[in-house]
Amino acid sequence: MKTELLRLVKHLDPRTIDRDVEEELHFHLEMLKSEHLQKGLSPTEATVRTSKRFGDLKKVKNQCVQIRKRSRPFQRFLKASLILVALIGLIITVSTDGRVSRIGNMLIMVAVSGRLLLYVRNLIPQSQQSTLSLFRDNSQTPLSR
Amino acid sequence: MANDRKDLMQGTLELLILKTLARESMHGYGIVQRIHEAAEDLVKVEDGSLYPALYRMEERGWINSEWGVSENNRRAKFYKLTKAGQKQLASERANWERISRAVTKILLTT
Repeated sequence: MKTELLRLVKHLDPRTIDRDVEEELHFHLEMLKSEHLQKGLSPTEATVRTSKRFGDLKKVKNQCVQIRKRSRPFQRFLKASLILVALIGLIITVSTDGRVSRIGNMLIMVAVSGRLLLYVRNLIPQSQQSTLSLFRDNSQTPLSR
Repeated sequence: MANDRKDLMQGTLELLILKTLARESMHGYGIVQRIHEAAEDLVKVEDGSLYPALYRMEERGWINSEWGVSENNRRAKFYKLTKAGQKQLASERANWERISRAVTKILLTT
């Protein structure tokens, strides 16, 4: 139960997506580099060939992160639920008066706040994505780390 | 110069990935290697372009992925074809054969 809960929390964390994508791409780059080294290339030459064959690492990483983010089933479910809450709130507000109508307003506010929160959460990893994680040390490419 | 063109047509990469994964589950590097081996270097797949395609295919439910251990004991993500992926492979394969026949016919008639 605890493990399942931890997995769910991990799945919700946008930083996990970043890390997973990075780890997957690094595995590929390292395999590619070792393939070139086995062919007898020097480490520098192997690094150059690897980068050339792989293409734009940063662009690939960003594309993968964006696709993964939009396809997270839990987040899609959450977004749909928030829309539903907002609609229920709107119906209550329009069709009732007084106290009950206030409940409708509250539901709308909850839905809007929730959507804003999701939006902000999605912005955070984008500002972190970068070269920071892939090229922590400027003197080294991700391949030579 | 035209003979040097090895770029894949739009959408073809997905067909090649589906076909490659039809045999067994594989990590991204393995998929590219298998495609290069099978194509005998006649087509060029830029390795990086594979990943957005894999992620899109997973989003569509054609493949799924899970972390495992690679042949050199490294943690790697393995992709596997789903039932929807098998159907997609059959459909894309039929489509490819139809287009291929059509283009060949046109080329032979002129």
